[in-house]
Amino acid sequence: MTKKILVLLFALALLAAACSDSADTTTTTAGETTTTAAGGTDETTTTAASTTTAAPAVACPSEEGGGTVVIGTTDAIASLDAADAYATRDWEILKNFNEPLLKWVPGSGEEIVPGLAASMPVPSDDGLTWTVTLREGLTYADGTPLTAEVAATQLTRLLTISETGPNQVGLTLGNPYVTSVEATDDLTLVFTLPAPIAFFPQLLASAAYIPPNPEIFPAEELNIFPEAPLTGTGPWIVTNIVPDESMTLEPNPNYYGDQPSLDQVIIRQFGDPQSMALAVQNGEIDIAWRILGSELATELGNVDGLNSVVVPAGPIRYLIINHVLEPTNDPNVRKAIASVIDRDELSDVIFGGAVDPLYSQVPPGFLGANEAFDSLYASPDLDEARAFLEASGYSEENKLVLPVWYPPEHYGATTADGVLLIVQQLEATGMIDVDVQAQEWGTYIGAVVGGEEYPVSVLGWFFDFPDPENYLQPFIENGGIGTMVTSKDGDITPGVNPELLSLLTASRSETDPAARAAILEQLQDVYADEVVTVPLWIEPEFIVYRDGICGDASLPNAESLNIGATMEFVYSVLGTDGS
Amino acid sequence: MHPLTLTFLIFGIPALIGLTYVYVRGSSGLRSYTTTRILLTIPMILILATVVFFVMRILPGDPIDSTLGPKGTAEIKERFAEQHGLNDPILVQYGRFVGSVFTLDFGNSLIQSQRPIVDELGERLPATLEMIIPATILALGLGIYLGTQAGIKRKSAADYSSRIFSVMIYAMPIFWLGLLFQLIFGVWLGWTPIAGRIDPTIPLDRITNFLTIDAIITGNWVALRSVLAHLILPTLTLGLVLSGVFLRLTRINVIETNQEDYVAAARARGINQGTITRRYALQNALIPVVTLIGLQVAILVAGAVLTETVFAWPGMGRYLIQRILSRDFTAVQSVIVFFALFVAVISLVVDILYSLLDPRVRY
Repeated sequence: MTKKILVLLFALALLAAACSDSADTTTTTAGETTTTAAGGTDETTTTAASTTTAAPAVACPSEEGGGTVVIGTTDAIASLDAADAYATRDWEILKNFNEPLLKWVPGSGEEIVPGLAASMPVPSDDGLTWTVTLREGLTYADGTPLTAEVAATQLTRLLTISETGPNQVGLTLGNPYVTSVEATDDLTLVFTLPAPIAFFPQLLASAAYIPPNPEIFPAEELNIFPEAPLTGTGPWIVTNIVPDESMTLEPNPNYYGDQPSLDQVIIRQFGDPQSMALAVQNGEIDIAWRILGSELATELGNVDGLNSVVVPAGPIRYLIINHVLEPTNDPNVRKAIASVIDRDELSDVIFGGAVDPLYSQVPPGFLGANEAFDSLYASPDLDEARAFLEASGYSEENKLVLPVWYPPEHYGATTADGVLLIVQQLEATGMIDVDVQAQEWGTYIGAVVGGEEYPVSVLGWFFDFPDPENYLQPFIENGGIGTMVTSKDGDITPGVNPELLSLLTASRSETDPAARAAILEQLQDVYADEVVTVPLWIEPEFIVYRDGICGDASLPNAESLNIGATMEFVYSVLGTDGS
Repeated sequence: MHPLTLTFLIFGIPALIGLTYVYVRGSSGLRSYTTTRILLTIPMILILATVVFFVMRILPGDPIDSTLGPKGTAEIKERFAEQHGLNDPILVQYGRFVGSVFTLDFGNSLIQSQRPIVDELGERLPATLEMIIPATILALGLGIYLGTQAGIKRKSAADYSSRIFSVMIYAMPIFWLGLLFQLIFGVWLGWTPIAGRIDPTIPLDRITNFLTIDAIITGNWVALRSVLAHLILPTLTLGLVLSGVFLRLTRINVIETNQEDYVAAARARGINQGTITRRYALQNALIPVVTLIGLQVAILVAGAVLTETVFAWPGMGRYLIQRILSRDFTAVQSVIVFFALFVAVISLVVDILYSLLDPRVRY
C-alpha cells in the first residue's frame, strides 16, 4: 500500500510541476546555448522578449566586512595569460588578480585613472612615444618586485610570444599599435608606437596591457592555464582553480590600494543559464552574472529576495554584408537592405521595447557617434528601397533572391525571431525573396569569417577597448572577417569608397577630441553610404543578485554592482550586509 | 599518481580479477571467446576513432573560427594551423593520431587552456563515473524491484502504476526531469543542492578526483556530506530515466518465468511465493536484464551528457559537448576513444557475466 501511495505522490508531483505557472518558475526556455564569448568581441548571449525590474540596493556593506560571495557564470575560462587571453570572462579574472597600467573607475565608462601607473601617461609631441611612470614600491602578491624593467619585459610578451597562443591577442591589440616597450629607469616605461593613436590610454586600460608575474608567466613562453595560486598586482589572489567547476579568490595583502571588504569570492561555472537561475533562487550562488537572457532575468526579478538589474552596457547586433559575393556586391542591393530595416519594430516586437535601436556601428555615448543609417536611409522607407532595387533591374516580377544566414543557438532564441522579422521587412518591398538559412555556430562562423559563402549574415560585437576605433576598424580594415571591404593585402575592394580607409587612419591619429569627433562622424556617414554592415540593436546584459549583496554606493552604477559601460566586474567593490 | 591512472586501477583491478577467473576456471570456449572479444576491441576502437577523426575534419569550421569568431583572421588561422600540424597532409595527421591512441598520449587540447588532454580527462572521467555508477545501481535496483513486484502482482494497481511510471519516466527528456527536480527539491523544498559536485566553500584535497573517495581518504566528513548531497539529484535523474526499461524487462520476464512448469511444480510442492520469486523466477528472469546492462551503457553515456549540462557537473559529457562546439579535434577524438573503451569493456564484462549466470550459454 505504501508503495502505491509513493508512486501516486510522485506522479502527482510531476503533474503539478508540469502544470505550474511558468511566471513563478524559471523552467521557461530562454535560449539555447551559452558557448564561448569569443575574444571579448563576438558576444554570446541568451535573450528573450521582455524587460526586467531593478530593485534598490540594500544598505551595505556591513561595518564588520568579511564574508564570501559566490558568483555564477556560464562563461568558461579560455586563457589566463594576459599575452594571450581574449575573452570577456578571462579579462574579468585577469583584471581582478592583476591591474593594468591604467584602469577604468568601476561603474564608469568614461573615466580612466592611473592603475599601476603613478599618473596618466604623457605622449611625445609627435605622438610616437608615450611615457608611463610606475608607482613606487609595487610588488606582486608573492613579493616579487615590479620594476619598470620587469614591466617592460612582461609587456613585451604581448608583442613577441602572443602569436604562439590560441587567442593571439597581441596580433590585434599589441603589434598594430606598439613597436616596443622599454624601461629607462626603475620607474619609467616608454612605449614606442608605429603611428600616433588617439586612444592609447584606452588600450593601456585593457587586460592585454597587464604586466603579469614573471614567476608564473615567463618572458619566453605563454602559460595559458597556470596552476593556482595566481599572484599578480591586483586586489585578489586566485587561490584555487577547479577546471570547469570553480575558482576561488582571496585578498592580496600586498595590494597597494584598499583591501577588499570580502574574505573570499568564488566563481562557479554552470552549463546552462536555467540551472544558474535556479541556483541563485535557492541561494547556492549569490550573483548570476553572464549569461542570462532577458526572459530569465525578468522572471528572477519577480522572485522575492532577488534583484535583477540591466547593466548599462551590452553587445551590438548587426548584419554582415559581404561586399564580394553576389548579390550584395551591388551597392543598390546593400542600400535597399539598409532602407527597409525597421529597428523600432524589431525592438518592440522581439524585445518588448527592451533594446535600443542602433543607427550606427558606433553606439551612442562614444566620441562622434551619430545616427548615420537613420539620416541617410530614414529607414524604414520601402519606396526608397524599391527605387534602389529598380535601379539594379529588379522588379516584382524579377525579384532579388537574397540568402540570409543566422546561428540559431549561439545568440539565443531571439536571434531567430529577429531574423524572421527582418525577412518580413525585406519581403515587404515585394521585390525581394529571402532565402533564410540557419547554421550551427562552429560551421557558421567559419563561413562568415571566410567570406566565401554568406551574402548576408548576423553577428554580435562587444568592444575590446571602449573607443569608436574598435567599432569601425575591424569591419573596414580586416580583410577576411566577412565584410570583404578590404582585401587581405589591405587594398580596398573595387567599387568601395576608399575614403573609408583614409578617414579611419585620420581618426586614429587625431588627438584633438573635437577634430576627431568630426572625422568620426564623416567616417560613419561613408560607412552607412557603403553599408559596410547594417547595425540593428544594442543587446541588454543582466546581473541578478540576492538581497544583502551590494556594490559601492560612492561609485557609479551601484545598483548593477558597479558594472558600467565597460562591463567590467570589479570584485573588490562588492560587500554584504552581514546577513 | 595521475587521477587517470588511479581510475584505471580502480576499475582495472576488478576487471583483471574477473579475467583471471575466466582463464583459470572458465571453459575453453569461454576463454577463447574472451580472447577474441579483447582482440576485437582494438579494431573496433580504431574504426570508431578513424570515423571521428575524418568526420571532425570534414565538418566545416575550425577551432580558431569557433573560438575567436569574427576576430579569427586569416593570418591567425594560418599560424594556428602551422603550430598544430593542421597543415600537414591528412594521412600524416591520421598517423600521428593512431600513434597517440596506442600510447594514450593524446597531446594537448587545441583550444582554450591547451592543456594536456590526459590531464583534462583525469579531472572529468572520475566525475562522470562517480555519477553514472550510482545512477546505474539506482536504475537496476529500482527497475528490478518494481518490475518484480509488477510481474508477481500482475494486473494489480501496483502493476499498472509501475507500467505507467516506466513509460512516463523513459519517455521523459533527461534535461526536463533534471530541471524539474532542481525546482522541486532544490528551490521549492530546499532539500538538496542543485548544481556542481561539492559546495565550493568547503575545501577538499583532490587526490583521485572521485570526491567521495577523496573525502573518505582525507577523513573530511563535511566534504563527504556535501558530495553525497550534490550526487542526489543527478543520480536520481539519470537513474530514474534508465530504470524504466529495466522495470519493463524485469516485469515481462518475471511473468513469463512464473508461467514455467518448474515454477508451478515448486508451488505444488508448497514452497512459499517469496522463495519461488527469489530462487526460481527472479534468477532466470534477470538473465536478459544483465544483457541489457551492456546495451544501456551507451545510453547511459549519452544521458550523462545532458545530465552533466543541467547539473553543472564537470564530467566527460559536458566536456565533449563544449569541445565539439569549438571544434577541438584532439579533445573530441580522445573522449570518443575513452567512451568506446569504456563501452567495450563493460560489454565484455556483461558477456562474461552472462555466460556465468546462464550455464546453457556456450561460446
